Amino acid sequence: MSELEKNVEIEIRDLSVTFKDNSGNDVQALTAVNLDIYKGEFISLLGPSGCGKTTLLRCISDLQEPTDGTVRIDGMTPKEIRLKQKFGFVFQQPVLFDWRTVKKNVELPLEIMYESKAERAKRADEMLELVGLQNFANHYPKQLSGGMQQRVNIARAFGSWPELLLMDEPFSALDEFTKEKLHEDLLRIWRQTNKTIIFVTHNIQEAVFLSDRICVLSPHPGRLSAIVDVDLPRPRTLEMKDTQHFNDLVLKVRNSFEGGSV
Amino acid sequence: MKSKKEKMLSTLLWIVFLVIAWEVGACIVAVTKRSPENILPHLYQIIAAACSTKQVSAGMSATMVVLTSARATILRALVGFAVGASIGFLLALIMKLSGFFEKMLFPYLMLIQLIPVLGLAPIILSITGDINKSRIVIAAILSFYPVATNTLAGFHSVEKEKYDLMYIYAAPKWMIYLKVLIPSSIPYFFTGMKIAAPMAITASILVDTLQGDGGMGCMLSQSLKHAMSIYVFWLIVIFSAFIGIFSSYLMNWIEKLVSPAKRVG
Repeated sequence: MSELEKNVEIEIRDLSVTFKDNSGNDVQALTAVNLDIYKGEFISLLGPSGCGKTTLLRCISDLQEPTDGTVRIDGMTPKEIRLKQKFGFVFQQPVLFDWRTVKKNVELPLEIMYESKAERAKRADEMLELVGLQNFANHYPKQLSGGMQQRVNIARAFGSWPELLLMDEPFSALDEFTKEKLHEDLLRIWRQTNKTIIFVTHNIQEAVFLSDRICVLSPHPGRLSAIVDVDLPRPRTLEMKDTQHFNDLVLKVRNSFEGGSV
Repeated sequence: MKSKKEKMLSTLLWIVFLVIAWEVGACIVAVTKRSPENILPHLYQIIAAACSTKQVSAGMSATMVVLTSARATILRALVGFAVGASIGFLLALIMKLSGFFEKMLFPYLMLIQLIPVLGLAPIILSITGDINKSRIVIAAILSFYPVATNTLAGFHSVEKEKYDLMYIYAAPKWMIYLKVLIPSSIPYFFTGMKIAAPMAITASILVDTLQGDGGMGCMLSQSLKHAMSIYVFWLIVIFSAFIGIFSSYLMNWIEKLVSPAKRVG
């Protein structure tokens, strides 16, 4: 993405989140995060557990109230955006509904949005084709493998045509082979739909392979310690993972963690 | 498929085992007791009694007596069960909707369950003054508790992520209930009903014994007092056992009928 096209979509200013732990002490989950996220970019929030990456994602999606600071999305609060049903969210677990078929699972957000039956069916079919599950539309989640369930999860999130897609470690429970396949699929769908994607992960290679930019977060207290631009060309291919450039980027990201080795 | 065959085999083995155990018992009783048919008759004697056309009471054969009395008992049990299960489901819904109601109701619901039906039944009978209404009320009282607790457990089984998902899409509360909570509770609701159905029948039979107007329990006590053939007693015991088991299977069948996901899983 060239400098000229950059259009700020999300402004995060001085964002802090403090939790109370079990003994009543304050725990700084996030400290004074400042970040601009551009329209249409693929940005990763990367860090070890306890760095506050999921907390940051939850603040953007209005699942978490910040203790201090602001998040503005196109000038609006996360709550306003949520009430306009502009978010798509992919959880670490597939979070599918056992009693609904695959297709009906994809249709769920559209039901909440009062889309017509015909429109729901049309979009669900489109999305299932996009994730390669068109032959499994009438199956139930329990009949699918973990990787296929996660595809349904992704199809459901894209199916509501969100402005902003939030993904919370969506592939961390999958095996390497399934993960690589889904990486390619995700990038393909992203290219076709042009959404802004905020992707939380603890996997450096995954972040480098997928992202335009990587926000490196460090723990204790959770803070944004670096932003790394990933200048690998698009479309990305699995062969790129074997290049020197890829490895240099991985090293650069790894070295930008603060507070010792991770 | 293999597990289905194994299941059938184990059922068959159990039946064979029970028949053998019964017959061994009957043989021992036959040589040691004076009136063995009162304690444990042979199975063929019971089958013979079921097939016999000999009139034992008011011009009816033994089987006729059992079936006529069963009709009254089972119909009341069914009504009571339906009422109890509905109340149970509604109570669970109310407790889910309001944490206050849950705290207020839940511990005391168990108290009702703890009162022996044997003690409760005469009180209900004197309040309603009608044996049929009592059957329904007692069956309902016994049914609602397992249904209410299991359904509530079903509501509580919904994972946080599902609430998060509905929140992200700004779903209104009624939609969360309709699309997430109630469907999630259905398997639990049926578990409750599978426990409650045989209980409703037992309760109804028990209430019968209080007054002599021809339910299964009434015939049971009459035949025990030798007012008619003792085999009526054995027929009722076996028949009600089958009805109890059948009622639970019926719930299973209805569950598969209403939840297609269950059929493929």
